Amino acid sequence: MAQLPHDPDEPRRPAFDGPPPTLEEELAAAQAGAEPTPSIETVNEELRDGLNRCPKCGSTDIQLRASTGQLVCLFCRHEWQEERVEEEFGLGHGIEELEGTVIASGAADIRADVADVVTFKCGGCGAEVSVDTTHAMNARCHWCRHTLNVNEQIPNGAVPDAVLPFKLTKEEAITRIRDFAGRRRLFALGRFKREFVPENVFGVYLPYLVIDAHAESQYWGQGEVQTRRWTEKQGDNNVTYYAADVYQLERRVAYVVDDLTMEGSSERATIAKDNTNNIINTILPFDTKNAVQWNSSYLVGFNSEKRDLNVEALKPKLEDQLLSIGRSQVQGSLQKFNRGVRWEQEKIDVGGSRWVAMYLPVWLYSYRQRSNGLLHYIAVNARTGETMGSIPVSHPKLLLASLTVGTVLEGVAAALLVASA
Amino acid sequence: MIDLAMTLMQASAVLPLASDDSPIWLLLAGPVGGGATYWLIYRYYRNTDKSHHFERDTLISAQPVQGGEQKVHHISRTRDSDIDGDNSGQHRERVRRVR
Repeated sequence: MAQLPHDPDEPRRPAFDGPPPTLEEELAAAQAGAEPTPSIETVNEELRDGLNRCPKCGSTDIQLRASTGQLVCLFCRHEWQEERVEEEFGLGHGIEELEGTVIASGAADIRADVADVVTFKCGGCGAEVSVDTTHAMNARCHWCRHTLNVNEQIPNGAVPDAVLPFKLTKEEAITRIRDFAGRRRLFALGRFKREFVPENVFGVYLPYLVIDAHAESQYWGQGEVQTRRWTEKQGDNNVTYYAADVYQLERRVAYVVDDLTMEGSSERATIAKDNTNNIINTILPFDTKNAVQWNSSYLVGFNSEKRDLNVEALKPKLEDQLLSIGRSQVQGSLQKFNRGVRWEQEKIDVGGSRWVAMYLPVWLYSYRQRSNGLLHYIAVNARTGETMGSIPVSHPKLLLASLTVGTVLEGVAAALLVASA
Repeated sequence: MIDLAMTLMQASAVLPLASDDSPIWLLLAGPVGGGATYWLIYRYYRNTDKSHHFERDTLISAQPVQGGEQKVHHISRTRDSDIDGDNSGQHRERVRRVR
């Protein structure tokens, strides 16, 4: 709206924009609060009572059978699986049309006042049973032996929207960990080799946020194109010189990102020199398209870590990763600049994003190095089998090897010098 | 020690430029080779440089790249074989954000 020029000698009056609101209108406006964020409801309604029953016989003795990726009833051996969230909640479509931040109900903000311990009334006998969601998502009723499950999406980060079941068995994980460490025996710390027991690997569901987004990023910088190259004689030496054209350049690219995955635990998301969390980060990505609707029976026999990061806290990281993705996309347009490009400024415009919380399966072997307290991980992606690890090294052995190589090379160099003299 | 190895590696890259035709620089082959051996084995065991390649391993569908360039200057004589501060391949190195 155009504003009229204001006379500086005249006292400023508020612009008239209609009659003042009534007290009722002001109260209603104050109670309305912020605009609601669009959301996707992912609660598994069939399991709301906390009793995950076999659809065939009604037993609650259910767990995951990793070799098939399906739930199995331990009473009648019936196997089944929950629906894939990709189709159930339409997560594979409409990324281009996303507007603002869409958060699935399992990725909602964590409330500090929500307790970790959930108390159930057992559907079998009526007894009250407590589950500490920090460590477990299931408990057995101590009276009637029914298994009770945390299926309700309590806002403490314990129940995500989806879970990707374990596919690799423990035996397969042990083999991969043994192979990984076996290839790194020579310079490994002696104590690590003596104490290495890959059978101590444990399966853990780690919390992640899986993001769909569409964005446009823009970059500005300088690039150089070599126009001439020549050699000049300076004394006994030949010196190479270059001539080049300098360009000011701009690039922009729009793109859609499907299932970008980020750690939902602040501890795992912290990658620094004093931890080996980068190892767990390296085994990404997972086949998140195969994630199924939440059913805590998938967690029976496995550990799980709660999500403690909210979407808002991860937005800067999303922008950062999208900028990196954009930079990799524009690289193909820089071939002309054979002396390189120096990017100086960048801009990101995230048109829309959708956030879904998932538990993803990891086989984890850990070893704490006593000399420096560093916790080393060997992690196996329990879907793809990708294995990565950190093996503590013996520095004396490494120094000896380096000195040997250095001495041999120095000997060869000295011999060449003598020969040329 | 890793820093030392890195320094030695960088020194080895600079040496041929800094030296004359005399092969005396060959004497650095021992320290440089020893440092590189330490660094490479350490990295193979500890994998400190590894992380998720989200730029490569995420499903991305991009529209054609737009933009342009304008010649602003000419360098008629330099001994530098490439541009200062080339970061075109370092996608995770952030530069000044324009809001």
